[in-house]
Amino acid sequence: MGDPFDLAAGWLQENLLIPALYQFGLMNWEDVSYNWALFALYGAAQVAVTFAVCLPLEHWRPVERWPDSKAVGVDVLYTVLSRVGILPLVTYVLFYRAQVSVSGWMTDQGWVPPTLEGLFPALLGQQVLTFVLYAVILDFSDFLRHFLSHQFRWWWALHSLHHAQRQMTFWSDDRNHVLDDLIAFVWFGVIALLIGVPPLQFPLLVLMLRFLESLSHANVRLSFGWLGDRLLISPRFHRAHHGVLGAGDRSCNYGSVLPWWDMLFRTADFSRDYVPTGDPSGEEALATGTWTQQQMAGLRRFARAFGRSHVRYGA
Amino acid sequence: MRRLCLLLSLCFTLPGFTARANAGGIAFVIDSAGAAVSVIDMATQKEVRRIPTLREPHHLILSPDGRSLLVGDTTGNQIMFLDPNTGEVKQRVPVTDPYQLAFSPNGKFLTVNGLARNQVDVYDAATMKLVKRFPVVATPSHLAYSPDSSIVFVSLQDSDKLAAFDLRTMTPKWTVPVGKTPAGVLWLNGKVLVADMGTDYIAVVDPETGKVLEHVETGKGAHNLFLSPDRKILWVNNRAGGTTVSMDAATLKPIRTYAIPGGPDDMDFAPNGKIWITRRWAEKVAVLDPATGTFETIEVGRSPHGLFLNPKGPAPAVVSSR
Ligand SMILES: [Zn+2]
Ligand SMILES: [Zn+2]
Repeated sequence: MGDPFDLAAGWLQENLLIPALYQFGLMNWEDVSYNWALFALYGAAQVAVTFAVCLPLEHWRPVERWPDSKAVGVDVLYTVLSRVGILPLVTYVLFYRAQVSVSGWMTDQGWVPPTLEGLFPALLGQQVLTFVLYAVILDFSDFLRHFLSHQFRWWWALHSLHHAQRQMTFWSDDRNHVLDDLIAFVWFGVIALLIGVPPLQFPLLVLMLRFLESLSHANVRLSFGWLGDRLLISPRFHRAHHGVLGAGDRSCNYGSVLPWWDMLFRTADFSRDYVPTGDPSGEEALATGTWTQQQMAGLRRFARAFGRSHVRYGA
Repeated sequence: MRRLCLLLSLCFTLPGFTARANAGGIAFVIDSAGAAVSVIDMATQKEVRRIPTLREPHHLILSPDGRSLLVGDTTGNQIMFLDPNTGEVKQRVPVTDPYQLAFSPNGKFLTVNGLARNQVDVYDAATMKLVKRFPVVATPSHLAYSPDSSIVFVSLQDSDKLAAFDLRTMTPKWTVPVGKTPAGVLWLNGKVLVADMGTDYIAVVDPETGKVLEHVETGKGAHNLFLSPDRKILWVNNRAGGTTVSMDAATLKPIRTYAIPGGPDDMDFAPNGKIWITRRWAEKVAVLDPATGTFETIEVGRSPHGLFLNPKGPAPAVVSSR
């Protein structure tokens, strides 16, 4: 039996990574290398599954047809970088070690970092149920972070990179400014510390959630129906968030996987129907530049955000 | 299959059936990534159930009185006390980042290496109160005591150093370079042996001064060291080589090399002469027969790490099959 991802990562570790680390005198990275292999394999699987499902969907009922899809290429790069490449490694090295360090420090102060299982011991051993509860809490925290990123000028300057895409596809989920990604990591880290998120315990379910997030960006006329759209976020729902009118602080539909928070805080808009996407207030490089040009443009906008404060953004 | 197992176990419990002695035995294998401890029936060599831990357990150790098995959960920041005969969870004690842990031979102290937090914590074994924290330069990994319990030796994996701490005065004794990426530590014949994972040898270190006296070649990525129960054979697991080597404990001359693929890590000795080895990246435990060089395989959880055999314990009850 065995978990195919674990075994494949083990194979990579034994036959490629360990020999390389040993050769270069880096054996102290052997734990990191295994976890990176695991992250990368899950990432590759996420991309493959998303690709296999979303590409036919986008051909079947596209919202928009473009004479060329040049701007999509950079989103592919964003996806590969953040799911298979360097980002998982950074996440593990920085985030994981920092989390252990801080939670250990708190234990020393006599304050045991709380966990859901600690609050509800019955959850111990109920892996799937525990994960679902963690996922719901994390989804809410992500909703909050996303909402706030639309409220502050400097933060929107970074997040507007995500909104700049006028050729939005399932690849667009990962197009973010690196500083925005960094904030998201720290945000997640704090929440993880507060509720004790188990980092690598539920990779397959994380894979499913990431798939839904990618799907919600797909260029496809797809709604889950009146009820379905109120249970899970569909491409139709998230597209409204990316609409030209949705840029800036008057947007709607901030959720990632569950639309419940938008409904609760009255930011949900189920009426907008497959609107054009993009952010007319941003410079063109944010939309059609190369990866570096987009990052630099985001940084410029970020710097400007600390200057004049009377100009509002958005439409 | 289940019916067959039932039939077999029935046979073993029949009166007059002399296989009674080997019908028992319970083994514990830690599954770090799966946040669990696998309970294995030593007789059938099958996993019978899993005990959930909080986050990320790595190593385990038997208490001096033999009544508790301590499982260190690093990111969970707690030590779980199990009944070594049944696997029942008796207690959970908050402890910072317990990676490796070991009791001093006199049973007074429990030393806990906080790998992620760069600290070596010495606890009073009776009260579980922290006696002393030694901050170290990097990632304390494995540890060993001098037989008189006066000194604890700790390998600092991400540095090239081994550290010694005097437990009588609770002061650092020395920290010296011993070779690249030091891992397993073992006291043997008045010397300290350190497995250097970045090389293919173990370093033999003078416990008084920390001076490296000699290097003994074992295989690529020497990772962990164990002494057989009769104290005659030294076993070394080599991470990069994927091998386990037996050596004469008196002369440190190699006897035989066994191929154990999948990152051989922790090890324990069964009374029937077989050696149990966790294979870190293969989701398996190898049960090696040193005489023939072949091994049997036990399927376990996602990343098998620490291992403990309790051959005198009763065969574990099947609570639920997974
Ligand atoms: Zn947004
Ligand atoms: Zn989006």
